Amino acid sequence: MTKSVLVIGGGVTGVAIAYDLASRGLSVTLVERGSLGAGTSGRTHGLLHSGCRYIADAEVARECYSENVTLRRIAPFLFEKNGGLFVAVTEDDLRYKDFFLKQCERAGIPVEEVPREEALRLEPNLNPDLKAAVKVPDGTFDPLKVILSFAASAKLSGAVIKPFNEVVGFKVEGGRVTSVKVLDKTVPREYEVKPDFVVNATGAWADKVARLAGLRVPVKPSPGVMVALDGRIGNMVFNRLNKPGDGDIIVHHRGTSVVGTTSWVVEDPDSVKPPREHVELMVKRGSELAPIVSRLKIKAVYVSSRPLIGEGAASTGREVSRSFAVIDHSRDGAENFVSIIGGKFTTARLMAEKLGDFVAERLGAAKESQTASRPLAPYWLFFEG
Amino acid sequence: MRFRVVIKRVKAGGEPRFDAFDVEADPSESVLDVVERISLEKDRTLAFEHACHHGVCGACGMVINGVERLACITRIGEVAKGGVVVLEPLRGFKVISDLAVDKSRMFGKYKLVTPSTLEIVDGGLQEVQLEKLYDCIECGICYSACPIANTFPEYLGPSLLALISKSGDGKVPAVVDSRAGVWACHAAFECSVRCPVGFKPGESIMRLRRRLLKGELRVEG
Repeated sequence: MTKSVLVIGGGVTGVAIAYDLASRGLSVTLVERGSLGAGTSGRTHGLLHSGCRYIADAEVARECYSENVTLRRIAPFLFEKNGGLFVAVTEDDLRYKDFFLKQCERAGIPVEEVPREEALRLEPNLNPDLKAAVKVPDGTFDPLKVILSFAASAKLSGAVIKPFNEVVGFKVEGGRVTSVKVLDKTVPREYEVKPDFVVNATGAWADKVARLAGLRVPVKPSPGVMVALDGRIGNMVFNRLNKPGDGDIIVHHRGTSVVGTTSWVVEDPDSVKPPREHVELMVKRGSELAPIVSRLKIKAVYVSSRPLIGEGAASTGREVSRSFAVIDHSRDGAENFVSIIGGKFTTARLMAEKLGDFVAERLGAAKESQTASRPLAPYWLFFEG
Repeated sequence: MRFRVVIKRVKAGGEPRFDAFDVEADPSESVLDVVERISLEKDRTLAFEHACHHGVCGACGMVINGVERLACITRIGEVAKGGVVVLEPLRGFKVISDLAVDKSRMFGKYKLVTPSTLEIVDGGLQEVQLEKLYDCIECGICYSACPIANTFPEYLGPSLLALISKSGDGKVPAVVDSRAGVWACHAAFECSVRCPVGFKPGESIMRLRRRLLKGELRVEG
C-alpha cells in the first residue's frame, strides 16, 4: 500500500518537499495554516543567490550557486537573470576584495571584476565614488510565483495541497505520531489525519509546531527588516563587497527595489514588528550603495523571519551557518517525525531532495529524486483542476 | 490610534456575515499587517491571502472601503473613514473563505493562451540583454473592478489580455479575437484605474483591437 506523508508548512521548502515526495510515488498531503507563502518564504527580498554573499563558507556558497544553476534550468520563466554586482564603497570594502575573489574561485562561482566606469555604465544609479566592482551570477524572482510553481508541480505529481489548514495537535503513542489534529479554517472544523510520516517544514515556526508533539527543534527565528522603494533603480542586484552586514543589498524585481536587511534573534516569529531605527538604517546603508535610495518614496516596510539553525552562541543571526539541518525525532520519541530548518530560498529544492532521501529510506520508497532534471510546472497550473 | 476593522466572513456552507474587530494600530501600518494581527490575536480562523508584503506578488488584493487595493501597500490611516475600515473579498471570483478567493477563473484561462512571464528590457547596452518579470502582478484586482468580468465568466479578462498584448510575437490565439476576448471589453477602464502597478490593461486591450482591425496580428487556431 502507498505510504502517506503529511507535510506541514506551505513555504518554499514545504512545497518543494511535497513535490519531491509525490514524484517519488508517495501519497502526500501538505497543510499550511495561512495561504501559500504567507510566512517567511513569501517575504524574502527575492534574491536568487549566486552564493557570493556567504562566500566565507565556500561549501555553502558552492551549494547556493549549484542550485542557482539548477533553478534557471528547470524554471527559466521565473527568474530575472540579470546578474549582480558586488561593489566596494569604502577602503574597508576594498580590502575584502582579494579574499572575496579567492573564495569565489574556491567555490567554483564564475565572477568577473569590472572597471568602475563599466560598473557605472551598467548601473548608473550606483554610488559614483565606488572603488571596485565584481560581476556575479545573481538573479531575482517573485517568491510567490516560485512557491506556486513547486506547488503546481506537486499537485501534478498527485499531492494534495491544503492552505488554511493549521495543525493544532499531535497524538504520540508508542514512540510514534499516530494522528495529527488539523483546524480547517475554511469551514471551520477540526479533523484528524493518520499519516505514516510527518514532515515539519515550518521554518522559523518549527519549534512551535514540534512542541505540540512534545518535541523540540533548535531553530532560531531571525527576523530581518526590508524596505521596498516605490520604483526600480537598477537591473543587476547591488551588493556591498564585504562580509554580510546590515543594509548590504538592493534587489530589483518587477517595478520595485528592495533594500535589505537587518538580523536579530527572537523567541516567537509571530510577534515581530519592524523597529523604526532598522528602517532608517536600511535607507542610510542603501544610500551608500545607491544615493538615489534616499530620494525615493518608501512603498512598504516588512519583516521576514529566517529559520536559522540554533547551535552555538549566535546573538544576531549573522554568525549562524546558512546551511540546513534535517532533524530526526526518532531519538526523541517520535520515529515517524522529521523537521527541517536552516537553508535559503535558493536551496529549497536541494533541501527537499535531501529530506526526500531521508523519508524515502524510512518508508521504503525506491524512486530517486527527479526534481533537479524535470522542468518545473508553470505557476498558473496550480489553479487548474 | 484605535480603528474598527469590519470584515466580511464567508465560511463553507454558512451565510455571509460581517465581524467587527477593534484594534490599536499606527496609521502608517498597512491594512495587511493589521489583518494579520487580527488573525493571530483575535480570530485564528480568519482566512486571507498574503505573501510578499511589498506590492509585487499580488496575493493580498481585497476590497477596502469599497475600492480594490493591495492590502500590503495600503496604509490603514489613509483609507479609514471615521476610523472604520470595511474589508471584503475581490469581486468576480469564487470565495474560498473570508477574504481569500479562488483565482482559477483568471489563471485557469492561461492554458488557452500561455502568456510569457518575462519581458526583454531595452537597457541601451548592446552586449547585455536585460530581462524582467512583467509588471503585471496577477492580483485579480482588474477582474474585480471590471463590469464585464463580473458579469461574463467566459471573458478572458483584463490582465490576461494585457499580458498577451505585451508578450505577443505577431500571433494571437483565436480566442483573443472572439466574444470572450477583446470584443467583450466595454472600455470602462476601471481595470486601468484600479491597477496597483500601473499596467494599464484597458489601453492594452484597445491596442490589441486596433492591431486586429488593421490586420497586424495573425489569428491562429
